[in-house]
Formats: sequence, structure tokens, C-alpha cells
Amino acid sequence: MSKTKKTGAGHYEILFIVPNKFTEDEAKKIATKVDAMIVETEGKVTFSEFWGKKKLAYKIKNNEYGYYGLFEFDLEKENLAKIDNNLRLSTEILRHQIVIKKIKTEAELKREEEIRVKIDSKKAKEVKVEKTGVKKDFKEEKTDKTTSVKKAVASKSSGLKELDEKLEGILNADDLI
Amino acid sequence: MATKKAKECYFCVNNLEVDYKDIRTLRKFINFYMKILPGSRTGVCAWHQRKLATAIKRARVMSLLAATHK
Repeated sequence: MSKTKKTGAGHYEILFIVPNKFTEDEAKKIATKVDAMIVETEGKVTFSEFWGKKKLAYKIKNNEYGYYGLFEFDLEKENLAKIDNNLRLSTEILRHQIVIKKIKTEAELKREEEIRVKIDSKKAKEVKVEKTGVKKDFKEEKTDKTTSVKKAVASKSSGLKELDEKLEGILNADDLI
Repeated sequence: MATKKAKECYFCVNNLEVDYKDIRTLRKFINFYMKILPGSRTGVCAWHQRKLATAIKRARVMSLLAATHK
């Protein structure tokens, strides 16, 4: 933490849990309170979401369920501690977590798109190969059974090596397809 | 001899970001006892494995994932 600058703007994300003793409407009101808290400290909310009632993975202060709320906002770094402290002291909020969210630059977005296009084209190719590959296997299996049985009957005395070689020859032959 | 196919990083291949709120994908990288699986087993690259570990820990704090099995 000592290396990071204490002033300047930052982009953050907050996730909080409202306990189950409130109704859904009340929980939404509490969410708007958090919103107001951010605005009060000269923050700018860019994204908000209310997940609704969810079962907690483990009990927190005897609460099995909770309402989740999510906010994304820009804020001065100095004011972040204020929000953190206010949320920690408030009895209406069970738990909260503030996470630094990285804003992507244009160059990064561009690069990501390029990668996405590459992956899509690769996937399309793979699907084509799979389709043709299935057909090949099916034909080969058919021919395998008929030819191998005939030859096995004809040359029982011939060694297994010969048979294997013949089989490989059949499998590798191009005229089957 | 059947050789083991080298696993590819799930996040690199699909061009995904590690998000602590996306429990469905995080669940792939923890075992029955809710322990974080090593990258050698899941094939996740070192860079993403580090992100994954912090994401799972963040999800545990917010009770999205359990820290232990029942």
C-alpha cells in the first residue's frame, strides 16, 4: 500500500450484503442509501446492480440468506476510506468488499478484439474438421470389419505382424475416402 | 504409449477474465473440499492462476463460495 499514491482518481467496485431481516423493498432502499453515500463523497456511479435474495455459502451472524448489491464508481482515493468506514459502521449492511477495478485502455480493447476474432476463426475451422473427421471414421470402421475378417480367415497361418501391416496399409490408403 | 495431452489455460484459450463474482467458472478450479486446485492439475497458466487464487479468496469473503465443505 505504501507504494500506491494516496491522491488521484480511481475506479472501484463495491459488493455488499444486506441481511435477511429486511424485506426486498427495504433492501433496495438501503442500496440507494449506499448510492447516495458514494455521490455525497463526490463519487460518480457508473454501474449498479441489485442481485436480490441469495443463499449465503455460510452463515454470517446467523443469517442464512442475504440481498446482494453491486456498484461500480469513480472516486478520489482520499474519499474511499470514508465510504469504507461508513459501511463498516452501518448496522444495515452485513458485509461489504471494495475492489479496485481496472479500466481498459483503447489499445487493450483493440488487442482483445483481435484475439477474439482469431479465436472465433479457429473454432470455426475446428468444427469443420470435426464434421469431416466423423465421416472418415465411420467409413473406415465399415471397411475394417469386412476386409480384416476375410483376410484373417484366408491366412490364419500368417503371423500377426503381417496382418497388422496390411491393416495399417488399408487404414492409410487414400482411396477409401 | 498414450501420452498426456498438454492442457491449455482456460482463460487464455477462451479470452476470459477472472472475476470473483462468477462462481460457476470458479467452481471448476476448486475440489470437493473447496480447496484451490493447483495449476498443474487444471492447466491454468501461472499468470491466471494468481488471479484465480485471489478471486476465489474474495468470493469466500463475500460468502459466494464456502471455505470448507459441510
